[in-house]
Amino acid sequence: MQILKKTQLKALKVARDIGPLGVIERLNKKRVVGRGGASFPVSDKWKYAIETKSDKKYLICNADEGEPGTFKDKLILMKNPETLIEGIIIAAETIGAEEAFIYLRGEYIGLKKILESKIKNIIKKSKTNISIDIVVGRGAYICGEETAIIRSIQGFRGQPYYKPPFPPVEGLFRKPTVINNVETLVNISQALYLNDYNPDLRLFSVSGAVKKPGVYEFPLGTSLVKIVEEAKPRDKVKAVYFGCFGGCMKYKDMELTPENICKEECVHGAGTVIVVDNKTSIIDMAYIISKFYTFESCGKCTPCREGSIQILLLLKKLRGKKAEKKDLDLLKELALHIKETSLCGLGQSSTNHIITALEHFPEEFEELIIP
Amino acid sequence: MKITLNGKTIECDEGRVIYGICRQNNISIPSLCSQKGLRSEARCRVCLVEMDGKLVTSCSTYPKEGSVIVTDSERAKNARKRNIELMMAGHAHSCSIDPNANQLCKLLKEVGLTEFRFKKTRNYKQDLGSSVVRDNNKCINCGRCVDTCSKIQTINAIDFAGRGHNEHVTPYFEKNLSDVSCIKCGQCILNCPVGAISEREHLTEVIEVLKNKKKHVIVQVAPSIRVSIGEEFGYEPGTIVTGKMVAALRKCGFSKVFDVDLGADMTIMEEASEFLERLKKGGPFPMITTCCPGWILFMEHFYHDLFNHMSSCKSPHEMLGMLTKTYYAKKAGLSKKDIVVVSVMPCTAKKFESKRKELESGVDYVLTTREAAKLIKHFKIDFKKLSDEKFDNPLGTSTGAGTIFGATGGVMEAALRTVYELGTNKKLESPDFKVIRGMDGIKKGKVIINGREIKFAAAHGGANVRKLIEECHDYHFIEIMACPGGCIGGGGQPIPTNLEIIKKRAEGLYSSDSKDHLRRSHENPIVKQIYKEYLDYPLSPKAEKLLHTKYKKKSEF
Repeated sequence: MQILKKTQLKALKVARDIGPLGVIERLNKKRVVGRGGASFPVSDKWKYAIETKSDKKYLICNADEGEPGTFKDKLILMKNPETLIEGIIIAAETIGAEEAFIYLRGEYIGLKKILESKIKNIIKKSKTNISIDIVVGRGAYICGEETAIIRSIQGFRGQPYYKPPFPPVEGLFRKPTVINNVETLVNISQALYLNDYNPDLRLFSVSGAVKKPGVYEFPLGTSLVKIVEEAKPRDKVKAVYFGCFGGCMKYKDMELTPENICKEECVHGAGTVIVVDNKTSIIDMAYIISKFYTFESCGKCTPCREGSIQILLLLKKLRGKKAEKKDLDLLKELALHIKETSLCGLGQSSTNHIITALEHFPEEFEELIIP
Repeated sequence: MKITLNGKTIECDEGRVIYGICRQNNISIPSLCSQKGLRSEARCRVCLVEMDGKLVTSCSTYPKEGSVIVTDSERAKNARKRNIELMMAGHAHSCSIDPNANQLCKLLKEVGLTEFRFKKTRNYKQDLGSSVVRDNNKCINCGRCVDTCSKIQTINAIDFAGRGHNEHVTPYFEKNLSDVSCIKCGQCILNCPVGAISEREHLTEVIEVLKNKKKHVIVQVAPSIRVSIGEEFGYEPGTIVTGKMVAALRKCGFSKVFDVDLGADMTIMEEASEFLERLKKGGPFPMITTCCPGWILFMEHFYHDLFNHMSSCKSPHEMLGMLTKTYYAKKAGLSKKDIVVVSVMPCTAKKFESKRKELESGVDYVLTTREAAKLIKHFKIDFKKLSDEKFDNPLGTSTGAGTIFGATGGVMEAALRTVYELGTNKKLESPDFKVIRGMDGIKKGKVIINGREIKFAAAHGGANVRKLIEECHDYHFIEIMACPGGCIGGGGQPIPTNLEIIKKRAEGLYSSDSKDHLRRSHENPIVKQIYKEYLDYPLSPKAEKLLHTKYKKKSEF
């Protein structure tokens, strides 16, 4: 796997040799994009932070990998933390930050000690004056959202706020802040040093009804069937979910590119593939995922706070075969409403799974309603 | 910058949110959670409009050059309606009872929402504080109380806790407001759009005691009520309705209606004497006023090093209450235990004050301005048709100095008039100290007394108070009011209370002062009489016992 290749501080040397503008140019040329889900070009994000004048700047490594069915960052944190830390130092030196934070998912607290000793080591070896601190999250899914991370590190409730100002202009402690995902930062080190760096390789966390769940690396555009077959499905596959927020689609042979996934009304996200077999009902999936979102909604804005619990209540009614046609219509309307009017990415994508399920598997909903 | 707003191309400034641009162009958009002067957190999602095909919150979105904004499309209207409908699922109060009860009720009417399809989801215990009562079952999590408490008052007594639909406003560890460092100012009540926070009502108790023929029930009215209570009966803010107010209260069945302005004059006599004494002794300076019970709590919780700087005077209504139960009782031949004193105050903290252990209180019940209006309505009195009546004697004669206590800077101005004239034995050319008036957060000035320069300052609103306290050792005399605007912006005042309304109420008070022929507390004949007949002289042992108090250190949390 390319992602596990170590750069041994040689990428940092390259970065120091070519300077910040050189780094940005190189990353632009190598087409390094954010791997957190939005695929925003790294060079653009950094450029904003470099251009903003400030006495202090911060770098945050987003290691709050909370999306159900996603565990690629955990693999990196366990198997290749050196390259990640190097990436953090490169990023911080490039944008001019002296302090960097790793916002570690609360459930990954077991990795903290090892990471800390690695950081100490690498900082010593690389002779950098950048400090890297690990902030451990308290288990809230919302803290994977960048503005919520900022508030959480500052000691406030982990709730998002609306942008602008965007973090590269005004973020942590109201200073320019760059927030990059774990996978992105590793890619930055690798893009600078590896001669055979391939920007199209993506990590896929495959789980669900498969015998060999795990992290797989494939180039963009690999067929969905190939990815799922690699993980050895247990039964006939009915559907795949692209994480909870990505939505679901009927299992079929299709090249996995963000565009193709978009055609199915789904969101590509962070390379999550949850395999659902024939024995599982889509309504049960919808119920479980809605339960997750009801619990993980931060409560800040009305549609997500009140809407998520109402969706759960409607699904409960549906599963209990007590729902009527008008309840199904309300479910549809509410799902769309939450998507359109919520404040942050969590709320906006929290009903994708219902919208896509209603689109691709309407019969499973309709057979449950009272005629 | 050019944008298209509802089909029309208009010119607008950059750096303004859509909501502001719409208001400038006379387009109204419903909104709930945003507060003037504070950055909107865009929580409620009620002010949605369409911008370039997307639904955005107008309170927080900045348009770009060429943006196309539609505020009245079906899509935007429906989205707004849906969010209010969702909000209602978390709002236990049935708004259909009184369509004008609060902002949310009015909004329901405005958007024409009649069908509620969602199940109600809330079930919380009420928080029954000694002054402020919270009912989370009515709360819609707009966050205005939290913003008010943390950003305007800088008290941070309440914040959000819980996640998802369990998110709710609470003091830390789900404690009651009475048990945390809340200063009971009640500013959260003024800013709540759904009536989830209110004062601890004492109406039923007062109505009950009014029925008791054996009791001599006396009501006393704070200076700021006369310019604000009219609003509850349809008068413009700032209209002086003293005469009608007195007539209405008398009609409610109170046997005497006394004027707290007189209490204010008494406070000035005691406070000015205390200040002159400190001038003689050389300190400690600054001396800080103690008329505001919110500020006293503020100090007791957060500023333990200021104890010996505080004046020891009780607040005006406590002084008057005490005089009613002693001086007046003796004069009228009544027994102290037969007298019940009810104060009408613009304040929720006064409810707490009247129950303080450190202070032998002369006041039995405190009603807010809103409660007093409710009382008058309860007795079906047609306020507007009443003819003017006067306060009862003897405790009903007051000066302009007492009247301006209701506005920020007023106590300082009244005190300076007396301090100067008693200290120098000269008469002021004009009793006006205009530097200390107005709505600036911190106001400062100087005056020369016997060749000595006296620096004074006044602050109002928690954030300004903290700023002034930081530099307080530069001054000799400081007035502090916890509520923005002073008592005219108090937590017990009619809703809405905002800066414009506060300004109008202040104008009312100052015009009343300027028309008064008595404008100095020490010229008040009743004040002179009380000292002559009963208290001997300011700061006499008797006065110390009845009119002064102590403070107690409280936890910062």
